[in-house]
Amino acid sequence: MNIATRFLLELQEMSLLVGRAARGLFRKPRYVPETIAQMDSIGVGSLTIILLTGFFTGGVLTLQTYQTLASYGAVDQLGYLVSISLVRELGPVLTALMVTGRVVSAISAELGSMVVSEQIDAMRALGTDPIRKLVAPRILALIITLPLLTLIADVVGIGGGWAVSTFLFGLPSAMFTNSVRDGITTDDIIGGIIKPLFFAFLMGTIACRKGLKTEGGTVGVGRSTTSAVVMASIIVIIADFILARALQLVLGTQK
Amino acid sequence: MMSQASIDRSERPDNRVSDRAAESTFREVDDSDRAIPAIEFRNVTMIFDERKILNDLSFKVMKGETKIILGGSGCGKSTTIKLVLGLLKPDSGQILVDGEDVTEYDETDMMKVRKKIGMIFQEGALFDSLSVYENVAFKLHEQGVPEDDVEGEVRRMLRFVNLEDAIDKMPSELSGGMRRRVGIARALVGDPKIVMFDEPTAGLDPPTARTICELAMKLRDLEDVSSIFVTHEMNNLDYLTSEYAVVNEAGEVVFEKEGEKLCLINSKVLMMRDGQVIFSGTDETLRKADDPYIHRFLRGH
Repeated sequence: MNIATRFLLELQEMSLLVGRAARGLFRKPRYVPETIAQMDSIGVGSLTIILLTGFFTGGVLTLQTYQTLASYGAVDQLGYLVSISLVRELGPVLTALMVTGRVVSAISAELGSMVVSEQIDAMRALGTDPIRKLVAPRILALIITLPLLTLIADVVGIGGGWAVSTFLFGLPSAMFTNSVRDGITTDDIIGGIIKPLFFAFLMGTIACRKGLKTEGGTVGVGRSTTSAVVMASIIVIIADFILARALQLVLGTQK
Repeated sequence: MMSQASIDRSERPDNRVSDRAAESTFREVDDSDRAIPAIEFRNVTMIFDERKILNDLSFKVMKGETKIILGGSGCGKSTTIKLVLGLLKPDSGQILVDGEDVTEYDETDMMKVRKKIGMIFQEGALFDSLSVYENVAFKLHEQGVPEDDVEGEVRRMLRFVNLEDAIDKMPSELSGGMRRRVGIARALVGDPKIVMFDEPTAGLDPPTARTICELAMKLRDLEDVSSIFVTHEMNNLDYLTSEYAVVNEAGEVVFEKEGEKLCLINSKVLMMRDGQVIFSGTDETLRKADDPYIHRFLRGH
């Protein structure tokens, strides 16, 4: 089978998986407790790494751009530059990549282990559809929590930028905050929320698909986990470019 | 099937055998649909990676019968029972469950068929994140059965496999034999009339393996369950084809050897090699078969 055929086959399998998971959301039994448990594990569980990543990314962004802006006499634009970078790009992408490392790997490994220990077959044998019970709650929980995590990363990142600008460079606090307030538009924020919705959908689908097609025992679990993380990371970066361009066209944010 | 005069069931200890079991044992059997096989394979072929895993496989499991499928590793034994449950799909041929052709059923239709079937996996396949109680209750929780009824049923099933004490344990705290027995309890919730055993005694010590076989015999002789028992261990064959379970006058389940008093007709043997049936019949004829492979398999040399 050549690469193009394999790619199309994989795309077909993922579409079928998503279709079945989506249909499952509207049928009984509804797996609300499972979805809430996943939201807790994915959302609350990822909070610490997102807070740290956001804060230090905002901080380092300020650290690196301060000198350049100072040489142009545009230090008053520091807040704008940092916040726009975070809200439009770094917030969504870094959050997605951090969650990929933590959650996509975990979902893929968990489902993969369940496949090799025949737990998925056992679930089917007991009359429960694993796609509805396991896949749908995970994808839905990611779609709900990733935009929230991104917003938190944005806010904390801007806070990190403000902290560096105020305490390290001694700039007036109001200069940074006014620049943020004047620079950021509603479209930037909407764009920054739309992106993680797509990222979450792609990440969840890849994680579940890779996990469920695990073959070859524990070695296979390792292989599918690695492959899920690599694929999800690459897809997030590619999707980011496509979405950025689409949002520029749709929201008219192209300057 | 065995029949026996009435026994005062009120004297029977509760933890010995289910009410349904006793009813099934002592009831006069008058089912016109018993002529319909519980499971039937018609010329089933399955190909994987250009290799024929199953090659034109045909057999029947009648109601109340235990079909012991023997064969070496990789001969297609486990594949066969996964096909019954629709966990795999054949490339050609027909599979009938209770007279219903399930070959072309999709996942949604198969879910209804699976409710009639209990499956015991090789390593138990217990859900790691759930306790023994939650594992056994899984099917009932999915069906939205009230918790009070769930607990009663879970305890009844755990009593059947003699593991009620382990109800609150996690699968990681159980031994291999206990895991299999919990797997059996989980599979028997809802009293399925068809049960699949996928090498349930592999890797177990002889007494525990014997316990698992006794459970299979209880299902066969007391619960009128049709089953496929996949194994490559000759001990299992000996137990299942030479002993039967009865309830004695004290209300306890005992296992008696077949002999002049009774000849077991509800256990048949199917031997497979490279996806094909090389023997089908009783254990007595199996032991007399001329095939050198069967000789080697039975004697181990």
